[in-house]
Amino acid sequence: MAEHKTGTREEWQAAREELATLEAEHAELTKRVTEQRRELPWVPVEKEYEFDTEDGKKTLAELFDGRSQLLAYNIMFGPDYELGACPGCSNLGDQFDGTRVHLNHRDVTLVCFSRAPIDRLAAYKERMGWQFPYVSTYGTDFPFDFGLAVTPEQAQEIPELTQMLANPPEWLEDWGRQVGAKLEDGLRENPSFIAFARENGTVYHTYTVSAPDPFVAPYYFFLLERTPKPGDEDPRAWRKDEYPD
Amino acid sequence: MTQHQIGTQEEWQAARDELLAEEKELTRTGDELARRRRELPWVAVETDYSFETADGTKSLAELFDGHSQLLVYHFMFGPDYTAGCPVCSSIADNLNPNAVHLAARNTKLMVVSRAPLEKLEGYRERMGWSFDWASTVGSEFNRELGFLHTEEELKPFLEGEIPPAVELNADACGVDVATYVADGPGLSAYILSDGTVYRTYVTTARGVEPAMGYYALLDRTPMGRNEEREEVFWIRRHDEYEHTT
Repeated sequence: MAEHKTGTREEWQAAREELATLEAEHAELTKRVTEQRRELPWVPVEKEYEFDTEDGKKTLAELFDGRSQLLAYNIMFGPDYELGACPGCSNLGDQFDGTRVHLNHRDVTLVCFSRAPIDRLAAYKERMGWQFPYVSTYGTDFPFDFGLAVTPEQAQEIPELTQMLANPPEWLEDWGRQVGAKLEDGLRENPSFIAFARENGTVYHTYTVSAPDPFVAPYYFFLLERTPKPGDEDPRAWRKDEYPD
Repeated sequence: MTQHQIGTQEEWQAARDELLAEEKELTRTGDELARRRRELPWVAVETDYSFETADGTKSLAELFDGHSQLLVYHFMFGPDYTAGCPVCSSIADNLNPNAVHLAARNTKLMVVSRAPLEKLEGYRERMGWSFDWASTVGSEFNRELGFLHTEEELKPFLEGEIPPAVELNADACGVDVATYVADGPGLSAYILSDGTVYRTYVTTARGVEPAMGYYALLDRTPMGRNEEREEVFWIRRHDEYEHTT
């Protein structure tokens, strides 16, 4: 016996059609939110930032690489992480190279940011076999100005964070061991997508989205959502070269 | 000056907070949808399908490859195509890096097409993918899921005005429009329970859109998909963009 309600093809079809209505409604709602998202005002970036990249120092405008839009994912990889970036963020990073060429042809440059120094990002990128530009925000105000990281003082003001640190779940302790950082340091990075536009020499910040928004999740989440058993709720993740057998 | 509305950080934050409420609502309906999806009855698959794979002929149960779940992407590559569909190829660019993460979650990802195995393998090599790709033996598997259409069914579409994107894609596959649209894209999900294979979910058309990872990313950029003013469809195979950057 199957451990789930079974049915005939006709029963499935009837239930599927009902679901299709909900899926269409959700797609409509998604479209409306996307439109609203594009109506956010653009905020000129007036401060000068200079980042370490694999090709030397670059300004924010230079990260656009000649295109008019910049979309960046901020991978949790702080200066205190001894062993590498967050495994969940790394799973997300695995996605970018396949899709990047298509974005580039829509006038979008896709890069990743992290706060660890550039030589550590470059080594980790090589280990993961990534091709996308990986930019270090080390030593800049940028991550703090844009909510991509918090200072130790700011961290103490965030109740969700202090509560989690006071009583960390087991998976989080494991995560700390995976990245090789104390949780109070490790959790100061904010996994987020951040978008900028560039027009007539001015760079504008247009959008930021951070976890727990489901958009800040690896692509395979969407696939698992369509399987009968998506797995447990355990947010544990592994780097692709570290899966247990 | 940009055509877009410019704002201060405070104005942006206020609009962002409003948007966040909408995004949270979207998350809630998305979660609800995932729950409803998993309530669909499972339908026992009674047909003995067979597939040609790199490891010989396999049954549907054997495609699970030791996992308990199977996700099939139905890739448009009919027997007469000289190359795979460009849009399916852009989806495959997104699927490819995720196979390893799905496998670690007890889910086998398979790509399935009607073209002979040799053609599929040649094309896979050209595109640099490593997922497993099976050729259907006979046409029933795709036909029964609604991913293979007869001339009769296509008549109304073929007698209407053919969208330029379809012409372009048919041409890229080296076939006429009727041959191109005979195959359709889709995603289907299965579970193996006590030796029986059950089909649990099937989707096509707009339901496949989340597989196009670049669209989700473009939806977070300042200009979005920006397709309204495009006369011609923009997606190409990743090695066929005109100005490869």
